Amino acid sequence: MKIELLQQPDSTIARVTLNTGEEIVAEAGAMVAMSGYLQASTTLRQGKGGGIFGGLKRMIGGESLFLSVFRSPTPENTLFLAPKMLGDMLHYKMGASGLVVQAGSYLASTSDVNIDLGFQGFKSLFSGESIFWLDMGGHGDVLLSSFGAIYEVPVKGEYIVDTGHIVAFEKTLKFEITKPPGSWLSAFLGGEGLVCRFKGNGRLFCQTHNAPAFGQAVGSRLPPR
Amino acid sequence: MPQHSVKPSAVVYLRGSKRGRRREWNKKETDKVLITYSLFIVNSQLSTINCQLPTLNHQLPTATYQLSTYMPSNISYTIEHSPSYAQLKLKIPANKTVLVEASGMAAMDSHITLKSKVKGGLMKGLTRMLTGESLFISEFTAPERSGTLYISPGLPGDIQHYHLKGNSLMLQSSAFVASSSTVDLDSKFQGLKGFFSGESLFFMKATGEGDIWFNSYGAILEIPVNGSYIVDTGYIVAFEDTLKYNVEAMGGLSWTNLRTGILGGEGLVCRFSGEGKLWIQSRNLFHLINFLNPFRPTKNNGSSE
Repeated sequence: MKIELLQQPDSTIARVTLNTGEEIVAEAGAMVAMSGYLQASTTLRQGKGGGIFGGLKRMIGGESLFLSVFRSPTPENTLFLAPKMLGDMLHYKMGASGLVVQAGSYLASTSDVNIDLGFQGFKSLFSGESIFWLDMGGHGDVLLSSFGAIYEVPVKGEYIVDTGHIVAFEKTLKFEITKPPGSWLSAFLGGEGLVCRFKGNGRLFCQTHNAPAFGQAVGSRLPPR
Repeated sequence: MPQHSVKPSAVVYLRGSKRGRRREWNKKETDKVLITYSLFIVNSQLSTINCQLPTLNHQLPTATYQLSTYMPSNISYTIEHSPSYAQLKLKIPANKTVLVEASGMAAMDSHITLKSKVKGGLMKGLTRMLTGESLFISEFTAPERSGTLYISPGLPGDIQHYHLKGNSLMLQSSAFVASSSTVDLDSKFQGLKGFFSGESLFFMKATGEGDIWFNSYGAILEIPVNGSYIVDTGYIVAFEDTLKYNVEAMGGLSWTNLRTGILGGEGLVCRFSGEGKLWIQSRNLFHLINFLNPFRPTKNNGSSE
């Protein structure tokens, strides 16, 4: 399987070339175009987070209920995948550590990557924001998307990130949800809300823009529904 | 990966963040690219190549650039700021006329004249309105001496050039940017085929001889179809009419009952078959509209949705 990112950084689209028997899983609706010989199916992914309850969990979390699976019966079939919003993509190779991904940033993964829904670590404190998290393990490739550009922060020691800007982070990082440094009052007035404080060594991926903030900036000026 | 041959000394347009740089592509550099990077498509000429290009110019960051091999054009043009903010700059030869989508003009030499007209008579204009295009098309003429015209499409995205040689090109209804005056534009009513999807699947048919430019939301990618190819209906930009097409709900992709957006998202696809070129866009405007919809304020008169 070959994964290429084209037209970076604003209008990034992924071209996946699949060989006989290879399979890739993508967020439902991510398919832009594909060779007519590819077999497509939707799935409620089996496994820990799969089955009907996994599917329900996904629906409650606001994510598409289904994942699409593309399978190539013949060699050299191409598939184009793109996220919904303007922005960049990241090709991450799963290693030993596992990855926690903001659900809206997940685009696709190869079939040996496990996707578990509703990462529990953030459960309580993120309730104010309607995002949920995917706990990914196994081996293979993961495609992540962002609203705006993606930048990597190699964390050694400690780092603080606004929760709305996290795309994904490696599970070797410990984290806690906390107020930004300084007084509660300035945190509140500054609109920063809660931040995530990462500790340890690992890679952290952030996006330059926050989709809900963009939605509020534009949507509030549109005529009422 | 099949081996491709590239025409030596082809004139290559480098597009991407380097903003339409034009450079001579000599054999030596071609070889370097072929050795170091795998090339996409290419049937020796008149085609688009996508490849990683850091070796062509060491100052360029590692990113993907689109190369278009030289395509004959009667009007000299440059496409700048592609793929995200593409703008078309045309040099209209003396006493020649170009057709431009209504309100597409951004800037021009002051001696260029503009005439707005219902192209091809009222009936054709009305069909064009049905397709979501404007009733009018602007005609820009450069009397006596040549002039420069800048054209900006309404949406941020890419622009692609195509040279018609008596064949026809099908365009997604709002994709038209500009064309030579010798190109004939006709809205093709798709009948039931078009109404199948909730989105309007109208195509504009461009025929004749001359140049045409079309635009997209997001980047444009060229796919050489040989056999069968499937495209989500919201991502089609243009295709050569040697390709047959059929709209279908794809078994594995359909989630009609679960549609959440106000537009699109039905999992309807267009199946192309035969041999010809197809252009797709890397983003779909409907997704942005659907994303913004929940952020609109709600009416306070009790009817909550």
